[in-house]
Amino acid sequence: MASASQDTKTSFWLYRFSLLLVGATLLLILAGGLVTSREAGLAVPDWPLSYGKFFPPMVGNIFWEHGHRMIAGAVAILTLVLSVWIQIQGKQPWLKRLAWAALGAVILQALLGGLTVLYMLPPAVSIFHACLAQTFFCFTVALAYFLHPNFIPAQPAQKSSAQSPNRLALMTFAFIYFQLILGASIRHSSFTAAPHVIFASLVFLHVTLLAIRILRFHGEDKALVRAALGLGFSTVLQVFLGIGAFVFTRMLERGYEPPPAEIFFTASHQTLGAAVLGMSAWICLRARR
Amino acid sequence: MKKIFYMTLAFISVCSFPLSAGALRGTAHFNGTPPAPQKVDMNADPTCASAHTEPVYTEEAAVNSNLTLKHVFVYVKQGLEGRTFETPQAAAVLDQKGCQYEPHVFGIQVNQPLEIHNSDATLHNVHGMPRETKEFNLGMPIQGMKLTRKFEKPEIMVKFKCDVHPWMRAYAGVLAHPYYSVTDGEGKYEIKDLPPGKYVIEFWHEKYGTQTQEVSIGDAGDQTLDFTYAG
Ligand SMILES: [Cu+2]
Repeated sequence: MASASQDTKTSFWLYRFSLLLVGATLLLILAGGLVTSREAGLAVPDWPLSYGKFFPPMVGNIFWEHGHRMIAGAVAILTLVLSVWIQIQGKQPWLKRLAWAALGAVILQALLGGLTVLYMLPPAVSIFHACLAQTFFCFTVALAYFLHPNFIPAQPAQKSSAQSPNRLALMTFAFIYFQLILGASIRHSSFTAAPHVIFASLVFLHVTLLAIRILRFHGEDKALVRAALGLGFSTVLQVFLGIGAFVFTRMLERGYEPPPAEIFFTASHQTLGAAVLGMSAWICLRARR
Repeated sequence: MKKIFYMTLAFISVCSFPLSAGALRGTAHFNGTPPAPQKVDMNADPTCASAHTEPVYTEEAAVNSNLTLKHVFVYVKQGLEGRTFETPQAAAVLDQKGCQYEPHVFGIQVNQPLEIHNSDATLHNVHGMPRETKEFNLGMPIQGMKLTRKFEKPEIMVKFKCDVHPWMRAYAGVLAHPYYSVTDGEGKYEIKDLPPGKYVIEFWHEKYGTQTQEVSIGDAGDQTLDFTYAG
């Protein structure tokens, strides 16, 4: 009896720790977004050291670039700890593999970050770095989902009914992920914004349909309803942030550095985009039940 | 006999050509209302801020008090084809002082050494962005540090920026010949010792763009060529 309660306690802390990783990753995505928005990506010309040091003076844009590197280091350590913890806990083999995959993704992400510095922001590498960041975020969301103390693995015999939000959730996730690729391309190259705007309406339509279906047929699942409402509200807000980002980066003239309003719109559009993707990933997992 | 005559003539003309060279001078006029100067906020780096007692303004649209334009790169664009010029061994210098580039606009010859100095007690990265040759980004964390670079191909203009201090910008005109100049605080430029001939002169400004004019340098010597940018 004592050992069972010990297990419950450990599981609870493991879950809490995975939530910490989710939060830290979202903060890291914001920090990375601020590096791009402030055009600070090349303020430190070397990598992995910064001006040959572990800790350079945090003056000017070095603050943003080196700050991003430090938060990234912290997230990598958190991921390592969580992955090892999951192995020790003797969780399901697929969950162990997922944890290793997350660790692999964060290491690859660090290497890509290094390449953006050493090759002076080649668009392909920057876009890949941006997309892998949010893919890694989805990994952390999935880990937290599976580590929830009340998580029950899906029954293999489960039937998929017409009311199941399963497929619709997956399509919504796919559209949002495609939006991520388009958005990153606009941000890191001179790629046109038109496809991103067109796909925004498709995302909007799917998020609306998904929310309606969840509210109509799954009202008893309070967590799923909350996630659907959060996704809907965030998507509406995301449209406005996107318009703001477009106006500031593609329409207005500006001085020697991006104005605070531009930094706000571009960085928040990017970070909320990650949150939207994460929420839709969570809904996909939840809808499998 | 005829051959010798022509050879002598050719020899004399080749020898005489530097002797009858003239100077091309002029002024970059500015027509219109000068744009409101944009103040630079250096507070993100206290070393930069403490280097200035007077307010600092961006240099991209520096209109002089006599309504002339500073930082216009003036150079011979056409008319020197087929000629080769010696590469200067003396380095051109780009200094980082008070968290500003000095000079803001300058000319340099192909393969001439460019010495980049850091006179500041703070860190700069020198991010050279040529399109014709390889881009580079060099850290200069130590006061008194010097680096040398060369550009192997002509290019109008090579941009330099510091990503630590986003207001820092400089531009270099890389040319295969020494006939270039930059307008000063009175909007004046002077290209010395230009051999007689017909030339296309180009004026380049980072904000107001480029314009060209034709000019003939005769044996008589100096020539004036003014130009006007509309604000
Ligand atoms: Cu600098």
